[in-house]
Amino acid sequence: MPKILVCYKWVLDEQDIKINPADLSLDPSRAKGKISDFDRNAIEEATLLVEKLGGTVDALTYGTSTVKQSLKDVLSRGPNKVFWVADASAEKADAHVIANVLAAAIRKIGQYDLILCGEGSSDSYNQQIAPRLAALLDLPAITYVQEISASGNGFSATRKLTDCTEVATVQGPAVISVLGEINKPRIPSLKQVLAAAKKPSEEIKIADLGLTPEDLVPKVICISVKGFVMTRKNVVYKDGDAAAKVAKLADSLKKEGLC
Amino acid sequence: MAGIFVFSEEDAVARQLLTAGLELKAAMQLPLCVITTNAGEADTFIHLGAEKVFVLKAPKAWPEGLAKVVADLARSEQASVLLVGGTLRGKDIAAKVASLLKAGLVSDAQKVKFSNGVLETTRLLYAGLALCEDTVAIPAVVTVPPRTFTEPVPSADRQGAVQSVEAVPDTRVAISNVCPIESEGVDITAASKLVSVGRGFAHKEDLHLAEELAKAIGAEISCTRGVAEDYHWLPIERYIGISGQKVKPDLYLAAGISGQVQHVVGIRDSKFIVAVNSDERAPIFEAADYGIVGDMYEVLPLLTAALKH
Repeated sequence: MPKILVCYKWVLDEQDIKINPADLSLDPSRAKGKISDFDRNAIEEATLLVEKLGGTVDALTYGTSTVKQSLKDVLSRGPNKVFWVADASAEKADAHVIANVLAAAIRKIGQYDLILCGEGSSDSYNQQIAPRLAALLDLPAITYVQEISASGNGFSATRKLTDCTEVATVQGPAVISVLGEINKPRIPSLKQVLAAAKKPSEEIKIADLGLTPEDLVPKVICISVKGFVMTRKNVVYKDGDAAAKVAKLADSLKKEGLC
Repeated sequence: MAGIFVFSEEDAVARQLLTAGLELKAAMQLPLCVITTNAGEADTFIHLGAEKVFVLKAPKAWPEGLAKVVADLARSEQASVLLVGGTLRGKDIAAKVASLLKAGLVSDAQKVKFSNGVLETTRLLYAGLALCEDTVAIPAVVTVPPRTFTEPVPSADRQGAVQSVEAVPDTRVAISNVCPIESEGVDITAASKLVSVGRGFAHKEDLHLAEELAKAIGAEISCTRGVAEDYHWLPIERYIGISGQKVKPDLYLAAGISGQVQHVVGIRDSKFIVAVNSDERAPIFEAADYGIVGDMYEVLPLLTAALKH
């Protein structure tokens, strides 16, 4: 029965981030936190695997103090326990730092048969964490996976690449990153939400991870973020019956020389 | 010797990266080298500007299993910059290499330049909502999406060295059942007009409404991620978005597409964007030049009739 760990990131919901037209800065004031989209697929996949094979699922996250908001959410989605590292360093952490922290936390928590990640996060979509974790933990990585099954002492996973699919099989523990299409994450029921409140969560202090100060210094430093603004005509026909609106649109397209 | 290194398991992408490599070479005054598994391509890389080509002797190896070999070589050659082709395999390899080198990695950089002792890169954030400029400490690893650069102009006069490197690939992962993904061979990125369908379509059978419009105006059919990957109504090569195709047609007509940022990032270079959607507040209208708020099932046949020559 596998012992599975799923890593997730608590991110801002990008659909609610606005762009200030004056300076193109981002305004996240209306954006709520969420578990990053593909990490939800990883959590669901871990949960589906233990429903089929038995075993347990733990979750692990690293972020600023806002990660505390994620704990009930993640536990309502299936995991038995969540470990969390909250530290200000997460604010400017690049994938190098994030992977260092997660790998150190995993070494501290213990051995897992399978470590699952989403293929990339909804905010920076660097797609680095699974292969970086694998390299740091000296485990094999299987990335971009659309299907997972148990196989011998390990797992078989179907990867979907640009021009082919392939089945990757490992014996022993592995790190796997999943694609959004691998499953459809369930919406937690009221019962699951209530049960989540009784499940354990454990804080891991970053100081207890045995990391050097250098391990926490990002190699990639963001120097500017600018919202992308498209200038479009925004002529929208909304009044009148369909025929009238179509006539206006057809007229506009002809004037632009498009049809 | 320190240097700028290029690696891709796809020769065409490696050739494109040499253009970025030559720019860095001029700025950094360092030699440009290629790491490849294809000995037959070494001369081509030299003609395109590589001073040295390292050929990994690992016949038929799974490229992802070469990460440690590439990292060891980058370390022993004291590579300052490693540019990796941003295919999915390349991104997997690059992240492992960066981790083994304790180096920073910028994923999917659109621009790379050297300035003040660091690399400066530009990439997308929040699925294309924003552009982010980063600096990366040297040694730096950067992945660059395929087709970001065009190949440099070759010159048969260029000379360079070729060195074989014994490569022991990672054998912990066994690969089987490699199946090519069925492709219709349609290249929607080359189309001058696109009629694109989203989740506003209730049934696969209804797509004929879009197909008829496309036929009337000489357009190709494209779609959103959901239509290709969740519904499987259309092949993935027709889907547009952050993880799909990026298009720049003269006319992009979005039918039943809400216009989430992940989709819009793939169409932002279109000359004209037209939207038909029943929801007046759908974000697609903010991205559109022209639009109709209305029932697509009613509007599309009328539009087809109006635009038919």
